[in-house]
Amino acid sequence: MPESPLQLQELIRRTARRDQAAFADLYAKTSPKLFGVALRIIGRREIAEEILQECFVAVWQRAADFDPQRGSVMAWLISIVRHGAIDQRRRQASRPEGSAAPEELLYNLAGADSADRGAELRSVQRCLAELDETSRQAVLLAYLYGFTRDELAVRFAAPLGTVKSWIRRGLERLQQCLDA
Amino acid sequence: MNYTDPALRDRLAAEYVLGTMPLRARRRFERLIAAEPALGTVVAAWNARFAPLDEAAPAETPPARVWDAIVRRLPPEPMALRDTSAGGWLTRLAFWRGLALTASAAFAALLLYVALEPQAVPATVVAVLTDKAGTPAWIALRGGNHDNVRVSAIRTLPEDQKHAYELWGIAGSNAPHPLGLLSRQPDKALTLPDTDLPAGTVLAVSVEPPSGSPTGLPTGPVLYQGKLLSKES
Repeated sequence: MPESPLQLQELIRRTARRDQAAFADLYAKTSPKLFGVALRIIGRREIAEEILQECFVAVWQRAADFDPQRGSVMAWLISIVRHGAIDQRRRQASRPEGSAAPEELLYNLAGADSADRGAELRSVQRCLAELDETSRQAVLLAYLYGFTRDELAVRFAAPLGTVKSWIRRGLERLQQCLDA
Repeated sequence: MNYTDPALRDRLAAEYVLGTMPLRARRRFERLIAAEPALGTVVAAWNARFAPLDEAAPAETPPARVWDAIVRRLPPEPMALRDTSAGGWLTRLAFWRGLALTASAAFAALLLYVALEPQAVPATVVAVLTDKAGTPAWIALRGGNHDNVRVSAIRTLPEDQKHAYELWGIAGSNAPHPLGLLSRQPDKALTLPDTDLPAGTVLAVSVEPPSGSPTGLPTGPVLYQGKLLSKES
């Protein structure tokens, strides 16, 4: 079940006070989503499991530092897992096998479950749709699957400089659109 | 590069969140975040822009061994351990394991959501506790923004499992009242509400059993003393 941001915030607050039940609840409610994120980027289950483990040990240690003014609990947790997964990917020599096309995933994203997140998701999708096709694909492959610039250059058979400017332009337009 | 340029900061933050920075550039950028928390706000904003994609992406329940491994890595908390109700997962801890691995791994990401420190007002020294020879060993600071006094060691004191240093307050001719156990590490202060420490209080440190004096009065030798300066001085 999707959790309301306030519920998660309350669980973090109690985790900071060393409430083990709240911590277990937080894990139960958020770990499937986070495991999905790690798995998609890293492509290997045992490493995704380790990343998830690191994430929650760190959360137990630093829950008291979480400041809701700076973002939602879920965005915080996602950033920790992504951090671990991207770092790990940069140390790996090659892309993991079996990544689905981002278009396919994005299509699945359209059927999002939570009404609460729905509006935010729709605006990201709308703004992504406004990008030109290559910028959009480059941004999605990087964000969802952890593609490096070099890997994108290979994928699109384009020079590195061109890939960089696609990304740069894509991010600029995305920001303009989302903040409008 | 001129890291004060807002457009550049935004671009770097976006590429950091997107994950397209090479590893070395990531590390460099993380050092910038650590040095300048305001940059963390810019990064957190980019996390928030992209997070809905992750939140809507397919979930997958991790195997139970992940949770078991997390539990094994948490240090036992005294409070949680006292809770011996059936199923309390900390009671299943077999041993305490080092956490050295963890902290660095996710540190940069954790920093992003840490509140910016309020503009710090410098702390003032309100007491220095010395030994009989006059050598300073403990320092008491009144924090600028807080109505509290923090007492800490000036340098690391040798570990000793059998003894603890306990802090006492002596106001006028009253009996010493216990203020708490002190850490041997300079970076771990004992924080006391200002109201516990009227001006002119003498602070004293005695050697006690590991959990503190059993009687509520000093039972071991008093090794260090110092007088608290008044707030106005």
